[in-house]
Amino acid sequence: MSIDGWRPNVDTVVARWSALERDWKSVFVGVAIVALVGVLELQIPW
Amino acid sequence: MSVRRLLPGVLALCLGAILARALALSVGVNHLLLAIALGFLVTNVVGIPDRLEPGIATHKLWLGAGIVLMGASISLESVLEVGGVVLLVVVGVTATTLLVVELLARNVFGLADRMGSLLAAGASICGVSAVVAVAGAIRAREEQIAYAAATVLLFDAITIVVYPIVGDLLNLSGVVFGTWAGVSMFSTGPVVAVGFAHSEVAGQWATMTKLARNALIGAVVLAYASYYARDGGGGRPSVRTLWDEFPKFVLGFLALAVVASAGVLSSAQLDSIENAYNWLFVLAFVGLGTEIRLGDLRNTGATPAVVVLFALLVSSALSLAVLLAVL
Repeated sequence: MSIDGWRPNVDTVVARWSALERDWKSVFVGVAIVALVGVLELQIPW
Repeated sequence: MSVRRLLPGVLALCLGAILARALALSVGVNHLLLAIALGFLVTNVVGIPDRLEPGIATHKLWLGAGIVLMGASISLESVLEVGGVVLLVVVGVTATTLLVVELLARNVFGLADRMGSLLAAGASICGVSAVVAVAGAIRAREEQIAYAAATVLLFDAITIVVYPIVGDLLNLSGVVFGTWAGVSMFSTGPVVAVGFAHSEVAGQWATMTKLARNALIGAVVLAYASYYARDGGGGRPSVRTLWDEFPKFVLGFLALAVVASAGVLSSAQLDSIENAYNWLFVLAFVGLGTEIRLGDLRNTGATPAVVVLFALLVSSALSLAVLLAVL
């Protein structure tokens, strides 16, 4: 599939993300980090 | 909003966060307070370029995400142990602050009803977010919203400095200091910052207490909307308001607390999550610092500031006395 084929999907994701309330975006970011740490064993240094 | 618009500001936040962390390690000052100071200095000395503003404005998103992740570090056992008492203190102090501001504003200082209500919501629940939420429900005027928001920001700036000093002078324990900050300071960001600047335990209790307080916003907006709707001056109140105004990241925080308590995550994973929220908080506090603009603070009216100062002194002293007696 050419890069143009992905464009509508990316646009849909961006539109859905923009429509989300800020609090839900925070939850989504939190869940994404937990998923990265839990599934991919990502190690975050401090 | 496109990624290209947000990226410069988000990168500036990341840079500020790394700088704050590096400075904290070398000079031995708390990294969260340094992050706020850094943002404050940049915005008031050189100013924020327009192209950075959209990205820097995402700092509340990072604060919310950090709070969600903090759920993984919470000991449900200790929450259940003293949570009931803390919840009672939260409801008691919130109601007292709200009533004190309303009474002083209307009966002693003669402020307009709506102005008093905005100040009461900001002081008793969750700072500027509460001011904006209640303003929509009671159809407050633009300048009233600006005055009330500026007053809340003024006291956010003052309490960020004063609370840690008082906590050290009185040698308060982590639980007492955190709960005290959570129950009596105004906005969520400064509460989390001073809590973690004191200790990890204080930071967790400050955040949990503040979340419990924030969760009351729906009920307060509903009550104000109903009150002002009597004379046709407010929005149409509905039970849906309770859900609309409820801070949703509280649900993420609670869900993660349950997941972590079930033992699903290993200690290495929990460490990574803790590091992630520490970074998110530093990122958020650089942005929070950029919101403390001296020019805005000078716009605060003297009377609203005096009303809120009285209320803060009452709620702060009352809550500290109760917490020292019961915890």
